[in-house]
Amino acid sequence: MPQLPEPLERLIQELSRLPGIGPKTAQRLAFHLLRADRQRAESLALAIGDVKARIGYCERCYNIAEGSLCAICISTRRDASLLCVVESALDLLAVERTSEFNGLYFVLHGVISPIDGIGPDQLHMPQLFDRVRSEGVVEVIVATDADIEGEATAVYLQRALIPLGVTVTRPAHGLPVGGDLEYADELTLARAMAGRRSF
Amino acid sequence: MLLRRLQLRNHRNYAHLDLTPGPGVNLFIGDNGQGKTNLLEAVAMLALSASPRTRRDNEVVGPVAAATRIEAEVESGGIVIELAIALTVEGDRARRVIEVDGVRRRAFDLPGHFRVTLFWPDDLGLIKGGPELRRRFLNQMLVQVEPGYARALAGLKRVLEQRNSQLKRMAAGDGGGDVLEAWNEELIRIGGEVSIARARAVQELEPVAARCHSEIASGERLEIEYLGPPANVAEAVHNSLAEDLRRGSTSIGPHHDDLRVLLDGREARAYGSQGQQRTAVVSLKLAEAALVAQRTGERPVLLLDDVLSELDGERRSALLRQVAGAGQVIITSVEAGPFPPELISSARVWTVSGGEISTCG
Ligand SMILES: Nc1ncnc2c1ncn2[C@@H]1O[C@H](COP(=O)(O)OP(=O)(O)O)[C@@H](O)[C@H]1O
Ligand SMILES: [Mg+2]
Ligand SMILES: [Zn+2]
Repeated sequence: MPQLPEPLERLIQELSRLPGIGPKTAQRLAFHLLRADRQRAESLALAIGDVKARIGYCERCYNIAEGSLCAICISTRRDASLLCVVESALDLLAVERTSEFNGLYFVLHGVISPIDGIGPDQLHMPQLFDRVRSEGVVEVIVATDADIEGEATAVYLQRALIPLGVTVTRPAHGLPVGGDLEYADELTLARAMAGRRSF
Repeated sequence: MLLRRLQLRNHRNYAHLDLTPGPGVNLFIGDNGQGKTNLLEAVAMLALSASPRTRRDNEVVGPVAAATRIEAEVESGGIVIELAIALTVEGDRARRVIEVDGVRRRAFDLPGHFRVTLFWPDDLGLIKGGPELRRRFLNQMLVQVEPGYARALAGLKRVLEQRNSQLKRMAAGDGGGDVLEAWNEELIRIGGEVSIARARAVQELEPVAARCHSEIASGERLEIEYLGPPANVAEAVHNSLAEDLRRGSTSIGPHHDDLRVLLDGREARAYGSQGQQRTAVVSLKLAEAALVAQRTGERPVLLLDDVLSELDGERRSALLRQVAGAGQVIITSVEAGPFPPELISSARVWTVSGGEISTCG
């Protein structure tokens, strides 16, 4: 293949690092941006810069946040005795959309996976246990995915949390088996949250 | 169960194949190395989602392109379904995309749509060979008839990878006994799903296999025993910790299962003659087909790859009786010799040569 100009080559490289984007798609996107008018392209670059500069993680629950705390942790209308543990900020959004849950969250940003070197520390679990001990939490809902690692993570949390004197529950069955929370439809997820069961 | 149409693109030595088998006996005749086994492999992949011949998907991709497509129209219970497996080579592996009626599905959701019983020369070692052959025998049958079994098997594999990785971390002094406990529970849960299904299947197989074996071997008594994980798995997993840490692998679980086949009370593997062992293999295979039919109300497509020439006397007759029954059968052979004339006259006969198939007569 003939050599492309260096900046274009670099853009293709960067794009192909994004999840779900292969080399072909990266090329198509790069050429699309090349053709797009300058203002559009710059506004994309700016948006990426702003996200990195202005958005970080909530100190308390690791949800995405514009300041040191996220909108949910700041709110005074949430029930602090209920804590829902999710794998990702996207899963948190999925639970929020059901309007079934009025407690607080803890976002793990992953699951226990020895193969990938991810254990309780990488998932901030010590902070989670501190919160449970010190913030009057009564029930922890473990809403990790129903795949192998999600289940193992739920088992780990259940074993670690019960000695702290809280009730530990799991959203009821009805979630697609082996499925992603993020992709569960709203009604299914709402039912699963409402019908959660103890381990 | 019926394979109505099979299309291959760049599967092994088939650059392009469009085949419409008949509803009864289909006989594929061809010299060695012409593509007979490759054909049955493709059909079996539609039932099992992976090749029964290799663990490496990319091995089946032919020389024409970096991709393979296996497509079929199958009929089950009067309903026609379209199945497709597409493989694309990526480095030293292949990406697999599976479609059922044009909708993308996960690999473990394919089995059960189309069911086969495959009997090929490899199976002749079922009694004599290692335990992995006998686990594969159970797995190939169970993924097709037991809902959730294929998923549980995939899950078990994943649990073992994760647990073994955790064992190695612990052995290296990284701590994490509490994490291991979580993987122990997963092993026990998902391992339990697998072994319950296997134990039940063996109970169902035994009387059918015994009847068949007794008919061929004039009254010899066949028994099958499922050798699964110990009754108290939790305790066994717990007690094996020191050894598991030392070896960096998991010593308790259905990945070590085996079947023990007894003939007149003696272990066939150690004491059976080659003839007795082959009779037991034929009996197990016929029992497999019967179990699938019993569970699903529909006979699986029988795939017999070059085995009739390996069998003689009553063993061959027993298999041929089954072939003559209602249902679709796909048989390959180097020559038409082993087949009775009445079978050939009612069969559709094809010739296989250099990755091309043509009708014969
Ligand atoms: N990935 C592949 N691409 C092309 N040809 C292949 C591939 N894998 C195997 N073959 C060819 O297929 C032939 C073997 O076919 P097979 O079905 O096993 O023969 P048989 O008719 O004896 O059963 C060999 O000629 C081998 O070279
Ligand atoms: Mg062959
Ligand atoms: Zn927060």
